[in-house]
Amino acid sequence: MKQLLVFVLFASLFCWLAFSPVYKHVLLIRQALLRQEVDYLLEIGASGTYGYIDERMVAESRERLSRHGFQPAQLEYVIGSTSGEPADDPAAPLPRGVGLLLEIRYPYERLMDIDRLIGLTPPGPEARISASGMKMSEYVP
Amino acid sequence: MDKLLFGVLLTVIWWMLHALQLDEERAMGMLYEAKRAVNRAAHAAAQQVDRDKLEMGILSVDPERARETAALYLRVNLRLDDDFRPLPHSPLREPPTVRVLDIINEDTVFPYTYDNPEYDCRVTLHRPGVVLVVRVPFPRLFGVLGPVVWDVKGVAELVHD
Repeated sequence: MKQLLVFVLFASLFCWLAFSPVYKHVLLIRQALLRQEVDYLLEIGASGTYGYIDERMVAESRERLSRHGFQPAQLEYVIGSTSGEPADDPAAPLPRGVGLLLEIRYPYERLMDIDRLIGLTPPGPEARISASGMKMSEYVP
Repeated sequence: MDKLLFGVLLTVIWWMLHALQLDEERAMGMLYEAKRAVNRAAHAAAQQVDRDKLEMGILSVDPERARETAALYLRVNLRLDDDFRPLPHSPLREPPTVRVLDIINEDTVFPYTYDNPEYDCRVTLHRPGVVLVVRVPFPRLFGVLGPVVWDVKGVAELVHD
């Protein structure tokens, strides 16, 4: 009887201890996948062949990430350049020396909601995990 | 009573193991992010050709512009402000410091072997280039993992023709 009482009292703590590491792990892996994707897109986009990141590359990237469990529609891509020119136009690639900027954002998708069990407030719906980077374009006309 | 003690101890050890695991996984990601930032900064800095010397047919890196470019690429890639302090979304919490920014120019004989025993950095350059070492303190979430500080090294050559 006493043991049952203890279990009921600490049930939420037990649940949190047992399951929250899994959620944290998913979050870490998602962050790592976003970093890897940013890295890959920058490597391709800033190479001598392209000098831009266009919609086709973004669509392919969404497809790649969706294979790892991301919702493709919720991925946000921010593409820019140090010179202020648009960096997603295949007709006007960034010339060599200009930095190509990329940021990918994704919502937390209630991964932190399990922290409510121990009284922590999870990040709001507008909060995002993100990865970003800037690489110098190598495109020479 | 001993069962309660066992439960508490188990909980503590269980959570410490997970804290250690989380921080180590984050550290792996962070190290690679820092390495990429340093690589991109070194590469961009090494491409800053001195235009006045280029007119005379000498390939050389402009030290002034190389320094500015390296700082810019480090700042943007690690999300730092103008004084290298981390911005709210930065993966870091303490400012990284540039320990070495050596510019190897046309006044040496190539191939040139750069050696920096202090940071255990030894590399042979065939063209003018930039050697960059940045000290990055890892922002730990838990005290389970000891303090981690990396000296991230990056080398790049001036690429032409």
